[in-house]
Amino acid sequence: MIQQKKRLVVVCPGRGSYTKDNLKSLMGRKAVSQAVVEMDQWRTELNLPTLSSLDQAESFKVSLHTLGEHASPLIFACALADFLEINRERYEVVAVTGNSMGWYLALAMTEVLSLRDSFSLIQTMGSMMKTGLIGGQIIYPVIHEDWTLSLEIQNQIQRIMAEHNQHHEPIYISIVLGGYWVLAGEQNSLQEFSKKLPKIENYPFQLVNHAAFHTPLLNDVSQRALIQLKNLDWSKPQIPLIDGRGVIWQPHSSDMENLYDYTLGHQVTETYHFSNALTVALKEFCPDHIVLLGPGNSLGGSIGQILIANQWQGIHNKSDFVERQKTSPYLLSMGMAEQKKILT
Amino acid sequence: MLNRAEIIDKSFSEKVKSQQFPEVGVEVSFTDLTPYQLIDLFESQLISRHLDLRARELKKDNLCYYTIGSSGHEGNVTTALASRPTDMAFLHYRSAGFFIQRSKQKPGTTPIYDMLLSFMASAQDPISGGRHKVIGSHELFIPPQTSTIASHLPKAVGAALSIPKRSALGLPGPLPEDSVILCSFGDASANHSTALGSFNTAAWHAFQNRPLPLVFICEDNGIGISVKTPHQWIARNFSQRNGLAYLYCDGLNLIDAYETSKRAIDYARYYKKPVFLHMRTVRLMGHAGSDVETSYQTLQRIQNNEAQDPILHSARLLIERGALTPHEVIKLYEDIRSRVWHVSQQVITQKPLSDIKNIASAITACREQKNPPILPNEDSRQKVFDKEWNKLSTPQHMAKLINWGLTDLLLQYPQALVFGEDVAEKGGVYNVTEQLKKRFGTQRVYNSPLDEQAILGAAIGLAHNGFLPIPEIQFLAYVHNAEDQIRGEAATLAFFSQGLYTNPMVIRVAGLAYQKGFGGHFHNDNSLAIFRDIPGVILAVPSNGADAVKMLRTCCDLAYTQGRVCIFVEPIALYMTRDLHTLEDKAWTFTYPPPDEKIALGETKTYGDGETLILTYGNGLYLSLQAQKKLNNSNKTVAVMDLRWLSDINYPVLYQKAAQFKQVLFVEECRVTGSLGQTVVAKMATEMPNPPKLSLHGAADCFIPLGPAATAGLPSVESIIDAIQSLRGER
Repeated sequence: MIQQKKRLVVVCPGRGSYTKDNLKSLMGRKAVSQAVVEMDQWRTELNLPTLSSLDQAESFKVSLHTLGEHASPLIFACALADFLEINRERYEVVAVTGNSMGWYLALAMTEVLSLRDSFSLIQTMGSMMKTGLIGGQIIYPVIHEDWTLSLEIQNQIQRIMAEHNQHHEPIYISIVLGGYWVLAGEQNSLQEFSKKLPKIENYPFQLVNHAAFHTPLLNDVSQRALIQLKNLDWSKPQIPLIDGRGVIWQPHSSDMENLYDYTLGHQVTETYHFSNALTVALKEFCPDHIVLLGPGNSLGGSIGQILIANQWQGIHNKSDFVERQKTSPYLLSMGMAEQKKILT
Repeated sequence: MLNRAEIIDKSFSEKVKSQQFPEVGVEVSFTDLTPYQLIDLFESQLISRHLDLRARELKKDNLCYYTIGSSGHEGNVTTALASRPTDMAFLHYRSAGFFIQRSKQKPGTTPIYDMLLSFMASAQDPISGGRHKVIGSHELFIPPQTSTIASHLPKAVGAALSIPKRSALGLPGPLPEDSVILCSFGDASANHSTALGSFNTAAWHAFQNRPLPLVFICEDNGIGISVKTPHQWIARNFSQRNGLAYLYCDGLNLIDAYETSKRAIDYARYYKKPVFLHMRTVRLMGHAGSDVETSYQTLQRIQNNEAQDPILHSARLLIERGALTPHEVIKLYEDIRSRVWHVSQQVITQKPLSDIKNIASAITACREQKNPPILPNEDSRQKVFDKEWNKLSTPQHMAKLINWGLTDLLLQYPQALVFGEDVAEKGGVYNVTEQLKKRFGTQRVYNSPLDEQAILGAAIGLAHNGFLPIPEIQFLAYVHNAEDQIRGEAATLAFFSQGLYTNPMVIRVAGLAYQKGFGGHFHNDNSLAIFRDIPGVILAVPSNGADAVKMLRTCCDLAYTQGRVCIFVEPIALYMTRDLHTLEDKAWTFTYPPPDEKIALGETKTYGDGETLILTYGNGLYLSLQAQKKLNNSNKTVAVMDLRWLSDINYPVLYQKAAQFKQVLFVEECRVTGSLGQTVVAKMATEMPNPPKLSLHGAADCFIPLGPAATAGLPSVESIIDAIQSLRGER
């Protein structure tokens, strides 16, 4: 069998990927110019600053740009632009996955939701905590220096967590993110917990303006979302989707009611296992490349660590990964101009 | 010329395009399956089919080593959907569809990749690590099976017994309390005595209203390699059995197969009774890749079978229901072909296993090593031993000491079970298990039906659910009809699962010769060759009661903590023996060893010293000590070493010891051919730099006769003395 087009698995980034380096990254992006116009209009109707104005701001303001109601749709617009710019003459997208908020983006990329409904989902979920964040997230490494997974560190975290949870509001594993665990819980408890983790370089550190996503603390958010977003029009995915458990949603066999339930239920309140999602993408689709949509490239390290965990194509440690990326990159990050060029 | 696989492949798309579908076998209108679930099942069927097709292409390039496939059996996807992912499934080799469908219930699993790794014998294969093409997964509760026909059925019965037993004993286990066990096999396998014994055992329990939640799934394709199953044989044979419910479904029809599977599984789950689910299938592409079907079937019959291709039936169902268009069906078929092809190309790059050290490392692998439970305290021991408590300090014969040893072990390991023929009320033929039922209750000490395959199969199945089985085989010769349960099943499981699954157990076997007044081969069998060549199996043969207790403790410890399979052979002739040299000297009675005393695996004991060393075990030790005493009256003394363990011998240490002697005699109570003595003497002769003078004195290669002649061909005190003197050149 001869395959003409190269096969890609696309990864949609999560919150935190739009940083000061990404300012003005929406300017002149033809692929989404109309989409941005429409989203700007919808945001104006919601009394929110337009994406264009946020993107073109003179400076990046943490207090503004990292807020969910702004960061989420900004990231969506950038990722969508990247996705649409992939040259489909030469590449075939065989599956789409995402990390955390990237799941909502994945639904948009695979046309489960229209632009309007994708925007509503992303904007609504990003605005759920306007009146105050529910809990917080910290990030902590679970790898050795060479980026191979450390069972010892994982067991240590579990032990500390089990002990901590006996006396405090519970801490949960929010995201399994390659070589990192994102841990989440009620803010005071999380601060106490952070002190108990052995310091490894700058870790643990708290993710700014991030709530305790993917934990039971968001049960209420999930319930509200199920009501507020019940009128979205869900269509079968045009490309297989891989969710935050590692479940593959195939175009024909996906039940939209289940997809709606998962997206606003389990996905919101239970651990998001990005490592499983990407492992399933690798092993069950064996793409020629993994493509990480922009903005930025903050998920690149985690993806590399998952390649290492699976000993994928001879990548056994950090130096293998770095070398491979230098010579013939397996991971193509659209946030990196050179790699983007390969795809567009 | 196209082969049958290519013809079937090509004709699928053509027939879908032209909508030439097979006749509907059975009309089922009601189902709670949604159109999405039907498509989902169909996708699993297509993955299974394309894995078969791709395996055959890879075989041509010598990249795939086992092409026995699932084509025609893809209806078993329905059984996976109808069951829970924690319902342990013992599957036969045509179960790719089941495996793929079940994988969907466990997010994060990667069935295409994993199965291709297995097809290509890759060291990365997560279950067998390239040791066999097996369908298995620890996280999917599918212990891997190889292709020994029907040998997995006895353990399925054992696993089913384990579920209500755990509940009754209030013990937590890996299988949820409301689990069902599934076990699939073909129509030809249903004729195997192992299968028939398993149906019988399951029904025997159910007939007595003992809970046993088990679904036997007979996937009936009408043929076993080249031998046709008589028309209606399965239905007539199994639809009227006492204690075994029977249900039939058309495995070519997704809805009928799902609805009936669900009924069967629900019945087994809620009524905790065994069910025989008879599922019609067809066999496509022959028995395996190398099978030329036209040598025993007419082309017409082959084509008739192919016309009943289950994926054509499924396509018809989906198109008729408007779930998919013919174009969508064909596109889906091709998309999955492409996906499987690309995954296979990636898998080709993975390394296969190569060196024997790596391969053999899995023989005794155990991923979940446990700590042994703490020793029971004195109060609880006193309570259990009751009237015998005060006798513990008085010397006793081996049978009594083993009985006390088992008592302490049952107390220490709440998961331990003692079962076998006559072990409960009667306390065993030699009273070794007397009082145990009274002490620990009928859930933990119970009689098995008279079928050694059922006993050992039960042990394996019980071990799958966290029990520590201590089954008893009444006589050594009775192991033979059940040998495969040890050789093909218990001993290989760690090897084919890299220690993800193990079969912790201690099989007690009463055996060996020298019984007074109870002769005859079947009660005196004196060959242990049956166990000796099985990699990884621990073989213990104590020679006295105190050793027996301490070795039994080690066996239980190794079984529990490292998942080892242990065979504990108890010399019957020594059970009641009290005297060693003279009448009433009571030198072969021993006091009960304190509970913390054990004899380590491979640890030997040497009695005395001299210029000649006797190596021996069991009855041989008893006789050699008598010979030693007589010989030591002369000025040339003899040392006697009890090997105790017939496996795991530390040869370097043994050679070092042997090198200190001028002569070494191996006294072997077993038939010489295939005996340990033969091996040890040969190894010493070839591996020691300056071996001492060596000789083997063993039993004749003859069966044991009845009456006074029973010991005629066996080593005796006199013959041992003769052998020593010959070795020394004194005769």
